[in-house]
Amino acid sequence: MALLLRSLARQGLSVTRAQSCVLYRHVVPMGTSAKEEMNRFWAKNTRLNRPVSPHFTIYRWSIPMMMSISHRGTGMALSTGISLFAVGALVLPGDYAHYLELIRSLSLGTPIIAGAKFALAFPVAYHTFNGIRHLLWDVGKGFKIPEVYRSGYAVLLLSLLSSVALAAL
Amino acid sequence: MAALLRIRSICHKGVKPLFLRSSLFLRPVVAQKKDQDHVLLLTADIHASPSRYAVTSSKAASRHWTGERLLSIILLGMLPTAYMFPGPIMDCSLAAALTLHGHWGLGQVVTDYVHGDFKVKVARGGLLALSAVTFAGLCYFNYHDVGICKAVAMLWSM
Repeated sequence: MALLLRSLARQGLSVTRAQSCVLYRHVVPMGTSAKEEMNRFWAKNTRLNRPVSPHFTIYRWSIPMMMSISHRGTGMALSTGISLFAVGALVLPGDYAHYLELIRSLSLGTPIIAGAKFALAFPVAYHTFNGIRHLLWDVGKGFKIPEVYRSGYAVLLLSLLSSVALAAL
Repeated sequence: MAALLRIRSICHKGVKPLFLRSSLFLRPVVAQKKDQDHVLLLTADIHASPSRYAVTSSKAASRHWTGERLLSIILLGMLPTAYMFPGPIMDCSLAAALTLHGHWGLGQVVTDYVHGDFKVKVARGGLLALSAVTFAGLCYFNYHDVGICKAVAMLWSM
């Protein structure tokens, strides 16, 4: 495919404005959906036991990359936390106030309490602000590379500031 | 491979022009230059997926995507609202929105990293069970205990 495109380019493809249209002369309906094609890809490659080329182990890490996986990481962590809380509510004896009393009885210092609040607030803040960044991408805004970095730094700053503010409450 | 067959067939000029239908997806397979003409025309062999012929013309995936974004926006709005108007209705809404958002989010993780029919089935089954239990637990907490909004307030007052 690439070979064909290169040979076309070499022949100096020049299309005038009026004729710069693709003639849909030979049209064949697609036989597979995207999902099927993805499944076929994985089935074939696992069957042939093909190795996967290294990707994140060799590619240079960038801020956008790190923020992207952190968005996923915080999402999974928060989801796990909520699920653990829900399961705890179902199986653990006693009520919520009882467990809060338990923690209060440990007489933890204010810095530890503030630190714990920060540790809880930061993933929520980061995932929320980066989520807004994602939604902006979804409506097509902010794709230029400088914009990606700028919005990324804004998310990091906002997350940090709001987590500190919440921890101080 | 289909592309190569197409190229070969076009080179031998043995391709019957196939009728055009309204297309949802286009997959350009090959392009050919007519060297006799002064003006160069691009004729492409295109794979179209018209709704009548496609294996799945369903818009399910597209609607799912939109649903995910809508839910995210709703959940975003719930955060200040829960702070300003805590109560049982807010608790229930938060429980539902949080669990569904988490369920769909983890669903994307499964799609990205889990491959193979059986493994996907197992992963999705486990995820459904987890989300169901999570929702049940949150509802139980909302009904029999202080509820999500109050719980956060109590925790933060420590």
